[in-house]
Amino acid sequence: MKEITDITIIGAGPVGLFTTFYAGMREASVHLIDSMPSVGGQLAALYPEKNIYDIAGFPKIKAQDLVKQLHLQALTFSPKITLGEAVLDVKQQEDGVFVIVTSKDVYYTRAIIITAGAGAFEPRPLEVENVQTHRKNIHYFIKNVAEFQNKRVLVCGGGDSAVDWSLTLEPVAEEVTLVHRRHQFRAHESSITELKNSTVHVVTPFEIKKLIGNGERLEQVLIQKVREEEKAFINVDQIIVSYGFITDLGPLKEWGLEIERNSLRVNQQMETTIAGIYAAGDICTYKGKPKLIATGFGEATIAVNQAKLMLDPKARVNVHSTHLFEKVSN
Amino acid sequence: MVCKYTIVNQDTCISCGSCGAIAPDIFAYDDAGLSYFIGDDNVGNIPVDEDVLFDLEDAHDECPTGSIKVSNEPFNGDPLKEAFEQGA
Repeated sequence: MKEITDITIIGAGPVGLFTTFYAGMREASVHLIDSMPSVGGQLAALYPEKNIYDIAGFPKIKAQDLVKQLHLQALTFSPKITLGEAVLDVKQQEDGVFVIVTSKDVYYTRAIIITAGAGAFEPRPLEVENVQTHRKNIHYFIKNVAEFQNKRVLVCGGGDSAVDWSLTLEPVAEEVTLVHRRHQFRAHESSITELKNSTVHVVTPFEIKKLIGNGERLEQVLIQKVREEEKAFINVDQIIVSYGFITDLGPLKEWGLEIERNSLRVNQQMETTIAGIYAAGDICTYKGKPKLIATGFGEATIAVNQAKLMLDPKARVNVHSTHLFEKVSN
Repeated sequence: MVCKYTIVNQDTCISCGSCGAIAPDIFAYDDAGLSYFIGDDNVGNIPVDEDVLFDLEDAHDECPTGSIKVSNEPFNGDPLKEAFEQGA
């Protein structure tokens, strides 16, 4: 028999991380799932460098620093966290237990809190012929730099991550080519200076038009100058696509929840239209709802306390952390 | 040269800052932090300046929520006028 988690939290953005902590504090067993390979949601994927000014207690905090703190806090009660795993389907068994089907596994849970923000983030795909054939040579995330040792690597994109990956791989790879469809890069000035002083072969304004290989083995990429006829071939072994992210509610739309303007309708208890499924943060909506991280943190505590009450009708709704932690440390 | 019009769907904008960084001459953020087309306060009836059409294309392509709408026709304040959407 597979284990049944008390509360499964879908989405590891700021609100999902805080929900994870809070559910742990309420002594629920917790499983946090996210489609991205790292925690932080929008804050990590879209604007790690941006300052946020409306987090209680922080006059100003960088998005990535807030994620770091929330992650640390979320780990307090040793929750189960599985990343790089998209939730595809949710069904309820006759005994009330929910079955969660992800891209990697099947899990069982008594309650679900959806903290999916604007939906699941996915890297914007490279859209050219033969992408499927050469998928093993196309990377959207880099887990292990050593994989590119002595390889001819082509990086495409014009933002910070494209420039940073080019520079990171330069000393490892045999050669690195950076292709961008504009002359200008949107990256830190210091990174661009470093790029100019590096051996990275910068090719602009070009776009990838075709992948050429022998069977599954990628050998060359055909690139073409933007809005011109000029073409060129580049010999490559691996491609890193750094085109940013797109977000989509995706399969969530099919779970039978009431959706209003891309958000889940919840009541004052953060309950969705399916008993046992709650929502918190940007994904949920109600009259007067502000889409703020600060609001999401409050909603997280309501959702967890209501889920806790459902799991244990004798549970208290009001619990103070100072008291709880003193008990733990004593 | 075909005129290009743009408008931001503020219902789906998540205020990530991408368009303002890519196309600062086209998009800015209102009091709620949501992006809008500077040209005519997000009505989408004034053509985007030819000099910044590349920026418009990039902002449109890179918006993570697809909130930046681009068309060959004016929007009359309606970002959901998808029928006319033809890309940048």
